[in-house]
Amino acid sequence: MTAPTLADWKEMYGALWRIRLFEGHVQRLAAAGEIPGFPHLSTGQEAVAVGVCTQLEREDVLFTSHRGHGHVLAKGSDMQATFAEILGRQSGLCRGRGGSMHLVDAANGVLGATGVVAGNLALAAGAAWAAQAQGRKNISVVFFGDGATGAGVFHETLNLAALWRLPVLFVCENNGYAEFTSREEHSNVKHVSSFAAPYDIATQTIDGNDLPAVFAAAGVAIEALRRGAGPYLLECMTFRMAGHYVGDSQQYRSREELAEVREKCPIERLKRHLLERGVSPQELDGIGENTKSEVLRAVERALAGPRPDPATVLQFVYRAPAFAAIAG
Amino acid sequence: MQQTFIEILRRALDEELARDPAVHLLGEDVAAGGAFGVTRGLAQKHGFARVRNTPISEAAITGLATGAALCGLKPVLEIMFIDFATLSMDCLVNQTAKYRYMSGGQLAVPLVIRTQAGAAGGAGAQHSQSLEAWFIHVPGLIVVAPSTPAEAYGLLKSAIRLGEPVLFIEHKRLYTMKEELTEAAGLPPIGRARIARPGSDVTVIAYSAMVHSALEAAQLLADEGISAEVIDLRTLLPLDMAAIAASVTKTHRALIAHEAVRNGGVGAEIAARIGAELFDELDAPVLRVGCSFAPIPFAPELERALLPGSADIVRAAREIMGLAG
Amino acid sequence: MALVAQHIPKVGLVMDEVKVVRWLKNVGDELVAGEPLIEVETEKSVVEIEAAASGRLTQILVQAEGRAAVGDQVAWIESAAAPAARTAQTPRTAEAEAVEPTLPAARSAIPAAAAERIRSTPVARKLAAGHGIDLTAISGTGPGGRVQLHDVRRAIEAPARPGAAGQSLSPMRRALARAMTLSNATVPQFTVARSVEWTVLQELRGEFSAKWPGGSPKLSANDFLLQAVARALIEFPALNATFSGDPQSADARIVHASGAHIGLVVAVDDGLLVPVIHDVEQLSLVEIARRRQNAVDSALKGRSKREEVGATFSISNLGADGPDRFTAIINPPQSAILAVGRRRDCVVARAGAAAVRPMSDLTMTVDHRVADGRLASQFLARLTGILEGRHWRLE
Repeated sequence: MTAPTLADWKEMYGALWRIRLFEGHVQRLAAAGEIPGFPHLSTGQEAVAVGVCTQLEREDVLFTSHRGHGHVLAKGSDMQATFAEILGRQSGLCRGRGGSMHLVDAANGVLGATGVVAGNLALAAGAAWAAQAQGRKNISVVFFGDGATGAGVFHETLNLAALWRLPVLFVCENNGYAEFTSREEHSNVKHVSSFAAPYDIATQTIDGNDLPAVFAAAGVAIEALRRGAGPYLLECMTFRMAGHYVGDSQQYRSREELAEVREKCPIERLKRHLLERGVSPQELDGIGENTKSEVLRAVERALAGPRPDPATVLQFVYRAPAFAAIAG
Repeated sequence: MQQTFIEILRRALDEELARDPAVHLLGEDVAAGGAFGVTRGLAQKHGFARVRNTPISEAAITGLATGAALCGLKPVLEIMFIDFATLSMDCLVNQTAKYRYMSGGQLAVPLVIRTQAGAAGGAGAQHSQSLEAWFIHVPGLIVVAPSTPAEAYGLLKSAIRLGEPVLFIEHKRLYTMKEELTEAAGLPPIGRARIARPGSDVTVIAYSAMVHSALEAAQLLADEGISAEVIDLRTLLPLDMAAIAASVTKTHRALIAHEAVRNGGVGAEIAARIGAELFDELDAPVLRVGCSFAPIPFAPELERALLPGSADIVRAAREIMGLAG
Repeated sequence: MALVAQHIPKVGLVMDEVKVVRWLKNVGDELVAGEPLIEVETEKSVVEIEAAASGRLTQILVQAEGRAAVGDQVAWIESAAAPAARTAQTPRTAEAEAVEPTLPAARSAIPAAAAERIRSTPVARKLAAGHGIDLTAISGTGPGGRVQLHDVRRAIEAPARPGAAGQSLSPMRRALARAMTLSNATVPQFTVARSVEWTVLQELRGEFSAKWPGGSPKLSANDFLLQAVARALIEFPALNATFSGDPQSADARIVHASGAHIGLVVAVDDGLLVPVIHDVEQLSLVEIARRRQNAVDSALKGRSKREEVGATFSISNLGADGPDRFTAIINPPQSAILAVGRRRDCVVARAGAAAVRPMSDLTMTVDHRVADGRLASQFLARLTGILEGRHWRLE
């Protein structure tokens, strides 16, 4: 894997901003009551999404969790269609049927977000198995939070993936919290990467807010997967800057914690990194501004998207519309 | 040549493996032949890459099969006992069944989950259940329950080719049943019932092993001059209400018989629909024959006392006809 | 000036509802109290309702073909008299109202039975409706008497055999059934019987025929019976009364009639009618005969006017082809009924020797709440005495 050029880094800088600003709009509109349900923001965890997904091909398949907006955008899905889906519009990726927690962009290899913690770990392994069985070169990536390691199926899937040497990249965004409970309270195992060894799976724990670090580690993992070395578990230590979900007032975090969080912002850190490499502040601001208007345009177009027609509610339960009718 | 249910299932799988390279079999002991021998020899014939053993991880293997189905394979997953489908439930209900809908039609899950149900004498409460009612409650699933080897052959092939997530529920007591497969059989379509025995006085709706109890009951009833029409549903979801309607419009009386617990069973759904859609045709209340409300006990006499049979169907039919006892 | 309400009074004993056949006066017409105002159809016949007051008919509330229940107001009459005119109704009406309290308590037993739900299956109902068959006429063979498909099919195949599947009741038969059941259920009845000799009356009839006014209806046995019963009732006012109210309650009373109002049982096509002749004690045989013939004709044509109200006593004569003797059931709210057996020659003892005389057995059924055996037998003795006597008012 060739090292990224400065231009690549600048593009990734823009990608971080894209997610940050997109999530900002989600937060704003959710607070204004425009978004049905409860979206989960990935504010602060952008580096993991960008660092991994920038190195994925279109044919590589991606699965993510309820906190998946960033991954979907980083994989290259259309911002407007993604935002429209979060708004529940007919013009959304899933015609308004999936929403924030169930984003799917099959043409782009985004095979799905799930609202059930650990719900699609095994699906990612299955996608990897399909590629392997059919001689295709694509890999499968699944993003999940550290809370998912409490689920039995997490361990079952690691075992199976290792046993069958499936080309699946398990990316854990360890932000220290599972819903409202800190990791210390729900697991004896401090680092998720510790779970890899029993299954003989390659693993690494990195600073998830350091984009270059994520990029490098993900590059190693992806290259190993494409080589057929078997599954990889990449643990990215990160922080949640917004609450668990929009509306969560984060009573459970201290003021110091929140200040620390802001200091470790991945965008700030990449900015510092790029300034050190000689990129001008104006250029960086310019990227920021361009991204801002790009995102705003997409959001505005999404807001103008049509709402779904209630008469179509039974479509897509089965392929044959007749089956849905027969099913009463 | 007569073959057993197991042999005929194997034949169907063998033919589908040969026909479509996307078809893969997986499950616990599947490559080794499966707990009941259904997949015996298939790994040797089609390769261990296409017929695979899995660890005892129902949750993961259901997810694995689902993910593979999303990406071009047509997996046929074996869940050894429907009692263990409990471990598959999150994936089956929250992912597999809903993928097409939640994605707005972008993705399909062409997956068949083969499992088996029913009591066979001494297997106990955790290996004898009939849980099909849980699955007719999930939009997006297809639920099939064949009653004979020939039926299973055609229905399994139809299921594999359907392109939807299908729960294919075999019955352990039928595994030794023998039948000769005729070419003329054809592939019964998913969602269509069949008339197992025509009649005119009362419609008996059944599926899986209970179809045989219903046919036995129909013969006993015929000896008393009561003509029972036996419908083999074949597919439980979606339900073939058109076939039921045609029959009840003729007989004006209906009962549903299944081995599963009567309370909240498939029969309850059918009875409610008959009441709603065929009210003006009814000359008697719709009755259900099912297992009494207890876990299946271990001791054979207790198990026998609980499970419904042809005598219960006869009794229900006579009650519907207004005859005592 | 006062507005007077015109109500539907009770004209039959068991009567809930009438259908207005036609208004005999139009809005704006002047009415005279007591004149026929409305023709209504009850279960048994067509009856005329009289105007409740004199004045101008100002508003009709229930039109022809409309239905009204007893007590319903059907019109407004603008009366020149003060509002108290409402009580200026015929004595008959007052009696009718006085008699009414007896009924509601007893009647409630009947409607409950009639209102019982018919159990039937949906497909049976559908088939019955399609063939215009009344489900109440079919006896169901299903559980709990449920009418099932094959019950309806059988009824369709064999409509001409009422015995098999049952026959639905005509309004007349239903009314009779209800009245007789009511009588049996609520009136304690006993009978007294006596033979009457017709010898003297036969002689007198011959004499009377000669003096009979031309154009008057021919004298019949019933006319004599009516005059005799009327005289006896006047002599025994205790029996010329009706029992009113619940014997258990303090309100129970015996209401005496103002005159001898006697019902005559007339057999019609589908059952019976009992037209009432009022104030018979004031009538000569000629007048009785005329009234009797009008009443019978009206009954036979199905048209009656205030037929049953006010009578305390009925006569049932089954005629020459009737039985030797029989027991009749009291027609509520009356207190007695006289069943007249056929006239036949009997061997009787006269002055110690056998003789052949024309005789009839009279059996009187009496309401034991009104009279006991001694009164009844005294009455019957007096009645027979009158019938065997020569004292008659011809004109």
